[in-house]
Amino acid sequence: MKASIRGIAVNTFKESARNKMFYLLVFFGILFALSSKLVSFLTLGDTMKVLKDTGLAAINFFCVLIAVFTGINLVYKEIEKKTVFNILSKPVSRDDFIIGKFLGLALTMLTALGSMAVIFFAFVALSGGGLDLKIALYFFMLFLELLVIIAISLLFSAFTTPILSFIFTVSLYLIGQVMWTYNEFKDLLAISAWRTATRVLYYLLPNLDKFNIKNEVVTGAAIAPLSVLFASLYAAAYVLALLAITILIFRRREFQ
Amino acid sequence: MTRGPREEGRVARQRYGLKGRWLALAALSGLLLASGMQARYDSTVDYFGDRNVFVSLPSGKTLKILSFGYRNLAADLLFIWSIQFYSTYHIANRFDFLERVYEAITDITPQYREPYIIGSLIMVHEAKDVPMALRLLEKGSRHNPAEWLFDHDAGFYSYKYLKDFPRAERYYNRAAAKPGAPEFIRRIKAHMVYLSDDPQTAARMYLDIYRNARSTLERDSAFNHLYQIKAEADLPQLKAKIAEYRQNFGRLPRALSELARAGLVREVPRDFAGNEYVYDPQTGTVTAQRIFRWKKR
Repeated sequence: MKASIRGIAVNTFKESARNKMFYLLVFFGILFALSSKLVSFLTLGDTMKVLKDTGLAAINFFCVLIAVFTGINLVYKEIEKKTVFNILSKPVSRDDFIIGKFLGLALTMLTALGSMAVIFFAFVALSGGGLDLKIALYFFMLFLELLVIIAISLLFSAFTTPILSFIFTVSLYLIGQVMWTYNEFKDLLAISAWRTATRVLYYLLPNLDKFNIKNEVVTGAAIAPLSVLFASLYAAAYVLALLAITILIFRRREFQ
Repeated sequence: MTRGPREEGRVARQRYGLKGRWLALAALSGLLLASGMQARYDSTVDYFGDRNVFVSLPSGKTLKILSFGYRNLAADLLFIWSIQFYSTYHIANRFDFLERVYEAITDITPQYREPYIIGSLIMVHEAKDVPMALRLLEKGSRHNPAEWLFDHDAGFYSYKYLKDFPRAERYYNRAAAKPGAPEFIRRIKAHMVYLSDDPQTAARMYLDIYRNARSTLERDSAFNHLYQIKAEADLPQLKAKIAEYRQNFGRLPRALSELARAGLVREVPRDFAGNEYVYDPQTGTVTAQRIFRWKKR
């Protein structure tokens, strides 16, 4: 890895790690994950399923919040504080800057998710759920989803304000979660132009549902290895495309 | 120089004068008025009345979409809510949307086992609607083809509450064919066949269980059923032959063997254990040695 990219990545990671909001969200993520025990008391039957459902949902939710809140400020703050001039005046290209930012944020997410995952693993084991390796697979898929989200937030952060970035990123996240409904209504569209347009959108917009294997993890249903492979390749391709677009935008960006 | 709280209060009073007091009074009055209005409003609304129990419940598919990837959590919360709701006995019309609620939960996560089991329990024992419970359990079986429990429960409800033994047999048949189904389901299945007035088939099934039993309990249970089926077949025949003997000879036989000697039977039948049936020459009654707990219905 180029030294400039590594330098930006490490600095981004350190900067994110210094942010109080990061710790606050990680803390609440863990707190909500552990409080799943309380929710599980309210159910009948398989309490471990409810414990895992609630805990994984809490970790998922707070990790997405961290990804969005950290990502939307990433480039904008550098431009707003004019620190980008300092960085780009050094032998660091704009491409390296974006890639470094992305990798730094990915490292931040890995740290946040890793700490929550370790605690949740121990919590499930202590609650009588044993060492469930499927949860590890779930965290891997969640990490892939988070990579896509930070790539989206980085894209918006490169050309718009944090508030707009937040709105766009969250909207795409929510759309990405319900993309599976396309297959439910595609046949209802009578006009072929609409069908084509929605089909194009279907492939353009992020499809995040494929990373969601919570149900398979908690119910013990089989997870097709091919679906994990395709989801991983999809995440890699989508992140690559988003980073390329972000770099293209950032290259043309005029700083004042 | 810093001012003490008392001094600060005096300065504030001087600065704001009556205006501040009026504002405080207005705030207090506003709050009191709002509380009064809330109390009046509460007296006009029956929160648990028929009209307000359900404002609306979106379909399972809609809830699945609206949960934005947190569908398991949505199903859990709806299920937990349903447990609390259906345990609130003073809501008289709480069962109006019972099927809809469990349809929604199981549409969101069809692999979630508990809502099928608990939902059908509520439907049978609280709402007294067995067909509704069977519909829910059939859905569970459809979505979880490897799970035997739904068919087992459906079989039990059909047997216990509908007295529909052929239907119960079908459910048990399906449950027994599933992987991991416990051995007792085969026995219950045979019992359903027996209750469906087909003792010959039931006897064949029990004989198969008896010969291939993997535990003493299984073998003993099959033995007892076989004993009962054989006794139920033999005793009416013997009684008829005793009556015929009495008609022919003007007296009761002294022993069952006299029936064979008189040519009324080729051989006196014995019970499944190989023992003779108990015959009372004084009264002419014939019974089996063992006493059974099972009833025909």
